[in-house]
Amino acid sequence: MADQGAADPGNNNNNKPEASEGTIIKVTVKTPKDKEEIAIAEDASVTQFKEEISRRFKAKQDQLVLIFAGKILKDGDSLSQHGIKDGLTVHLVIKTAQNTSASSSTSTQAGNTSASSPDTNPSSTAGSTGTTAPPTQTPNILTGFGDLAGLAGLGMGSANFMELQQQMQRQLMSNPEMLSQIMENPLVQNMMSNPDLMRQMIMANPQMQQLMERNPEISHMLNNPELMRQTMELARNPAMMQEMMRNQDRALSNLESIPGGYNALRRMYTDIQEPMFSAAREQFGSNPFSALGGTSESGAQPSRTENREPLPNPWGPPNSSNPSESGGATTGSTSTSGGTTPSVSNPLGINPGSLGNGMFNSPGMQSLLQQISENPQLMQNMLSAPYMRSMMQSLAQNPELASQNPASSPSSAGTNTAQQQLMQQMLQMFAGGGGGGGSTQTPEVRFQSQLDQLSAMGFINREANLQALIATGGDINAAIERLLGSQPS
Amino acid sequence: MAFSSFKVPRNFRLLEELEEGQKGEGDGTVSWGLEDDEDMTLTRWTGMIIGPARVSRTNYENRIYSLKVECGSRYPEAAPTVRFVTKINMNGINNSNGTVDSRSIPILAKWQNSYSIKIVLQELRRLMMSKENMKLPQPPEGQTYST
Repeated sequence: MADQGAADPGNNNNNKPEASEGTIIKVTVKTPKDKEEIAIAEDASVTQFKEEISRRFKAKQDQLVLIFAGKILKDGDSLSQHGIKDGLTVHLVIKTAQNTSASSSTSTQAGNTSASSPDTNPSSTAGSTGTTAPPTQTPNILTGFGDLAGLAGLGMGSANFMELQQQMQRQLMSNPEMLSQIMENPLVQNMMSNPDLMRQMIMANPQMQQLMERNPEISHMLNNPELMRQTMELARNPAMMQEMMRNQDRALSNLESIPGGYNALRRMYTDIQEPMFSAAREQFGSNPFSALGGTSESGAQPSRTENREPLPNPWGPPNSSNPSESGGATTGSTSTSGGTTPSVSNPLGINPGSLGNGMFNSPGMQSLLQQISENPQLMQNMLSAPYMRSMMQSLAQNPELASQNPASSPSSAGTNTAQQQLMQQMLQMFAGGGGGGGSTQTPEVRFQSQLDQLSAMGFINREANLQALIATGGDINAAIERLLGSQPS
Repeated sequence: MAFSSFKVPRNFRLLEELEEGQKGEGDGTVSWGLEDDEDMTLTRWTGMIIGPARVSRTNYENRIYSLKVECGSRYPEAAPTVRFVTKINMNGINNSNGTVDSRSIPILAKWQNSYSIKIVLQELRRLMMSKENMKLPQPPEGQTYST
């Protein structure tokens, strides 16, 4: 009796409702994400084990699937039946109801819902597209995607939808195939083909609203259905996105050669840059780019446009390892398209369909894109707008660019250089905290990292390095060539 | 747990693998064990693969795939035969009975005696994440092959 009595409190200490006898064993429960050690009676049933697990992992019992030694543990079994002993590991998969049904059926349902309520509040729409909607869901453009694709992430057991969505978007951006997969999803296409919906989603983002307040032009952009449609088409079709980027680059490079264009750009720059950057900064968080600069993601990830190789990371010490390739690719596509005169009232200035083509194809731009898209907010659609502006701003702010471009246009390196320079300037503007600071940085500051690289490579003449860098606009490879060319050997 | 290159007797190897399977070595995405605990020949094994989920959006999200692995008498010199029990749509897997084609799965085709059941399962899982397989539509969850 005493023994029994002693055994019971012993068992109760382990939170088991039954006063089952038997020794307590420690079993490790492992999920793909997580690992916990659970103490349970040796002769407990799988159900009891699951109770304990559901407490520990904060999941419902019927969401739990236990696997041991390649077999699924059914509720009616006992642990000893499967030979689960002290110190062994059981695998756990936390399912949710949505996951068990095929994701396509879920999305079709969701697609119907969203189709029937295009004008509802974006967050509730987004909420209905996913089968579960967290109460405070940032009405993110990709909220819908996040929910859909987030179903995949639900298995992680993470209850944090934001996190899921962010991850999903990150992956989305970095994986063109996944992107196209998602794009193919009828729900997505549905959403995207509804400009009102898209606009609402964009506008519902508070940062976006701020941005718009400061910059009425943005709201112009958003309100222009043609533009919205175009942007959505873009987002929907990565190939088309490339196309447009190319066009943009082309037009942008044409911009420089327009006599008055430069000044106009510069004007625009000053008018728009300040609010743009401060707004953008808020949107993207303070100095996210310096943080991003630390990550080197250029090597491994597939680039956003499929036919590019991994691009150098312009944020960090600009390696610019593949400038010539991209330069070749971009200049190959240089052709004239009517350069629309930019004007302040039309901030996109140039018809977005014909802007800044080569820029977007340059390695910096793409890495930029990738990294920007790391940030979950308003990725795709916002990309068009702020980007084109900053393009133009970079152009405007760097007089060297203009002189250099026509001067060196015959050589592909030249254009590439200009673009690189642009890229880096833009990047530095962001990284340096933007806000009108870009053009005031001395060349030395701007090229600090390049200088470091050059000296690491053995070019110890800092002055010469600096000169070369200024001349090439920060393009390390071109600078090296310059330096080598100037030396007798 | 690396298996040495000199020839380890089959049963020793399989016992080691059994223990490993029970201890849950590896990343928690595959599990394996004897189909029948009384099987003294250690021939028939069941395996489980937890479909790749959050790495990228795949059609295998979070599904659990059940397999049968048969280690013949010449294992580990000869590759085991693997068969999916849960229905799956993947290159190299026979659509009607779930047998894994040893010639199309690289590690089965180029089997080495240092490979193990765990490695086979992990490799199959990795293949689920490959570009070509990721796009394939998957049959509704929970279906199994009839044989």
